[in-house]
Amino acid sequence: MKVKRQLQKENTRIRIIETAYKIYSEHGFTATTAMIAKEARVSHGTIFVHFPSVNELLTHLIEDFGNKLALEMHNLAEKNDNIEKLLKAYLEVLKKYESFYIHLISERSLLPEDVQMIFVNIQSNIAVHFNKVIEREIESQTVKNIPVHMIFNTWMGLIHYYLLNKDLFSPEKPLLERYEEELITTFLEYIRK
Amino acid sequence: MKTCIACGMPMMEKSDFAGEDTGKDYCVYCARPDGSMQSFEEKRTGMINFIIKTQGFDYKAATKIAESNMKRLPAWKDYFNMEE
Repeated sequence: MKVKRQLQKENTRIRIIETAYKIYSEHGFTATTAMIAKEARVSHGTIFVHFPSVNELLTHLIEDFGNKLALEMHNLAEKNDNIEKLLKAYLEVLKKYESFYIHLISERSLLPEDVQMIFVNIQSNIAVHFNKVIEREIESQTVKNIPVHMIFNTWMGLIHYYLLNKDLFSPEKPLLERYEEELITTFLEYIRK
Repeated sequence: MKTCIACGMPMMEKSDFAGEDTGKDYCVYCARPDGSMQSFEEKRTGMINFIIKTQGFDYKAATKIAESNMKRLPAWKDYFNMEE
């Protein structure tokens, strides 16, 4: 019996997490926990059994996304892969979270500070892996000798510009799916020797 | 899968571990040349400088990021609890 109850509890938790991703992706971070509860078909109080505060729910969601991204980047960076593979893998993970990520970058300042820091730390983590791969390529003279932070910031600037203007670039379809090839190819043209 | 207690890096390969010793809880990047783990101050300074180098952030902002990251790591969180 206990096992069954535990399983049910775990399933409810998963449903809350998945629904929260959906609701925040659709409505942004001004969405309420009442909206999540209604969509997940659980009572409002059930959410707080699993996540005692909204901050904890947001932290979990952002961390979970960040961990997936970081793990993928880490695996590639350590495998001596090149920058092209890293950019592709980065966008591959981002594609799965596109709407959520757009809200994350456009509404970051609205989030509580500790939640904001989780996101900033994810970006730092990504920068570590970029740095590793880019330094290797600069050394092997396949990438121009530009300060690594400028290479990273140029890439992030490019991606974020497109994502923040999704309504202009791709109002009806997912943006990254449509532009990933052009974005990667152009960026590589800029940085490669 | 183990993650480094001092920086959070996933440690999957033997080469990820300090001294290639899979019994260690910290990674190759958090080890000093003699194999021991870096101190709180060494790690803090290293993280701040690394954030500036890789992202070009302002020193104060980089310090805030490094400290918020360290607060969540098993090796350092007690240092912050002591301060509070």
